[in-house]
Amino acid sequence: MATNTDRESELDRFLLKQRVERFLYEEAALLDRREQTEWLALLDEDVEYKAPLRITREHVNDNFSRSAYYFDEDYGSLEARVQRFESEYAWSERPPSRTRRFVTNVRATERDDGTVDARSYLLLYYGQGDSSSYTFLAGRREDVLRPNGETFTIAKRHVYLDHAVPKIDKISVFL
Amino acid sequence: MPPTESKATAQQPDDHADLLAEIEASLGEGKLPLQTFNSEAVHQLELDRLFGREWIFVGHESEIPEEGDYARRYIAGDPFIFVRDMNGDVQVLFDSCRHRGAKLCRAEQGNTSHFRCPYHGWTYKNTGDLVGVPQKEVAFKNLDQSEHGLHSAPRVDSYAGLVFASLGDSGESLEEHLGEFTWYLDIQFKLPDGGMEVIGEPHRWVVETNWKTGADNFAGDSYHTGFAHHSIKQLGLGGDDTVGIAGAGETKDRHVHCDGHTTSTRMVEGEEVFMTYPDEIVDLFNPDNVTADQYRAAKEALSFTGSVFPNLAFLNFGDITDDPNKDVTGFLGLRKWRPLGPNKTEIWSWAFAPKRASEATKKRIYKVYMSNFGPSGNFEQDDVSIWNGITDVADSTFARHHDVELNYQMGTEEMSEVAYDEEWPGPGTVYAINLEEVGMQKFHDQWFEHLSTPRDGTAMSRECGGGCGSAKTDGCGSAKTDGCGSVKTGGYGSTKTDDGESPSERGRPEDGE
Ligand code: FES
Ligand SMILES: [Fe+2]
Repeated sequence: MATNTDRESELDRFLLKQRVERFLYEEAALLDRREQTEWLALLDEDVEYKAPLRITREHVNDNFSRSAYYFDEDYGSLEARVQRFESEYAWSERPPSRTRRFVTNVRATERDDGTVDARSYLLLYYGQGDSSSYTFLAGRREDVLRPNGETFTIAKRHVYLDHAVPKIDKISVFL
Repeated sequence: MPPTESKATAQQPDDHADLLAEIEASLGEGKLPLQTFNSEAVHQLELDRLFGREWIFVGHESEIPEEGDYARRYIAGDPFIFVRDMNGDVQVLFDSCRHRGAKLCRAEQGNTSHFRCPYHGWTYKNTGDLVGVPQKEVAFKNLDQSEHGLHSAPRVDSYAGLVFASLGDSGESLEEHLGEFTWYLDIQFKLPDGGMEVIGEPHRWVVETNWKTGADNFAGDSYHTGFAHHSIKQLGLGGDDTVGIAGAGETKDRHVHCDGHTTSTRMVEGEEVFMTYPDEIVDLFNPDNVTADQYRAAKEALSFTGSVFPNLAFLNFGDITDDPNKDVTGFLGLRKWRPLGPNKTEIWSWAFAPKRASEATKKRIYKVYMSNFGPSGNFEQDDVSIWNGITDVADSTFARHHDVELNYQMGTEEMSEVAYDEEWPGPGTVYAINLEEVGMQKFHDQWFEHLSTPRDGTAMSRECGGGCGSAKTDGCGSAKTDGCGSVKTGGYGSTKTDDGESPSERGRPEDGE
């Protein structure tokens, strides 16, 4: 029989997961609505945002480069990317891409320092212009979130894409 | 797989002849039929007659520093294993088992002493030698193992750590192919003490672009920079002289055509610029590693962009950053356009830094490279989205039936006041402005020469377009001919071929120059 303490900690974990999910869903919605400046406000000034290259090795199924990236960003470089997308000369996003981020398989655990380890899967639909073609990007994310009242800020995001050689013209979206 | 020559010509004899005649007529006017940028017939001819015999970049030696290190590489569609064998030599082995053809290399890279076939277990040393045949006494008792090593690319050679292979049995040596253009490659690869090395693994991504559009772009498209990349300037991610309108800045802008290859450079005369590398890197640049003229060119250079025929390109951009509030730096990027079809290219993109740079500086150089090039790069994103459009319209009925042509006449006598820089210290024909597309025309001329020469026909030759008289290359080491297709590091290595013919019989000098 479960004790009250068990039930309470189970409830805590459930509530934490709820809050993390709500945050990640809202974040995805912001990006899908292309409210990128608002998205920047969710990032901590010392944010670490990385997406390393996946490297196919013979005996390892989940192997990533330690020095080669699609993204290896800090707040300043992310802000520059966001501002660039607002330029009418940022041809990669003219017309803007249509995205839909499906965030699933969320797991959240509280760390000793009060921050939260949030893991999630991401499936991103990516279409543009009047073409019938589209792309999906898939991967998993490992975030460190900092509690901020009822919600969070992003201290760290590591994105591990499933693609060895992406079949994509360019990665002009945030993951 | 590309069809064999006889098959291709048997199937569509007139296609080739008509198409080639049409291309030739266009070329004569500094134009090119749009349809050549998305044509199955052209693609098949390219596989057979261009990628099937020209020197194609495979990788840099620093990618496989230790014995047994290997990486999967391709020449167009053909898979090879780029490996440093147990003797320290670099091999480019055809990735197909000599028994019944299975592929041996299942990873992108790794380290191994042997390659074992997953099908029936034939095992090869990393030299390519066949050393194990399961149940040999019963199954293959008379098999001569020495005759069944992995095939090597017919010719393999290197320059300044850059390893190339050719699927042709004969023709120009790599040394002849690069010609005096090594003057410019030296500036990129030989300047720092300790040499250059690849940082991390190359970016690879598959785009819906014809490979020639990338090649065109790096063969002197300074015209596009100020417009296609205007957002970089707006954001302050790149300086005015690097991303500004071509020919309008304070810099001394030059386009160089040399022995079939091209480079564009922007220089600040009399200044010490060194591509805006940090002092730590500039301190590694040693005048003794190059000639005085090369050193001065490097010193005054803000940027270099260049193209090595047919599908290798490089860029070293200065005054570029990932964030307007951070320091700028130079970085060297190398790229290869790997054709996967008439409308599909796998782009490979490597970042380099001097081997002796500190880890922190290498990281910084990589970050600035990645922020601007590779699939997520602020520059590169915009290029590819534009290039795809060209590939798209090239496949139109209209383009095929109405002789739609692309115009590459900028910089010809009819279009511009052409001035040449006679004082330029390096080899090649040197335009005193960076507004010209004649370099692209030269690329197309060579490309056409390959396409119109049957694979078994005359060896490809190259004529130097005037002014290539003053090279001071010092990189041609001695040829060594031990080991099939292997390369001794540091200079032009061996090019021994399967049939044992020696390099000198192929018409290349035994000891460099
Ligand atoms: S195909 Fe390789 S051992 Fe049979
Ligand atoms: Fe560009």
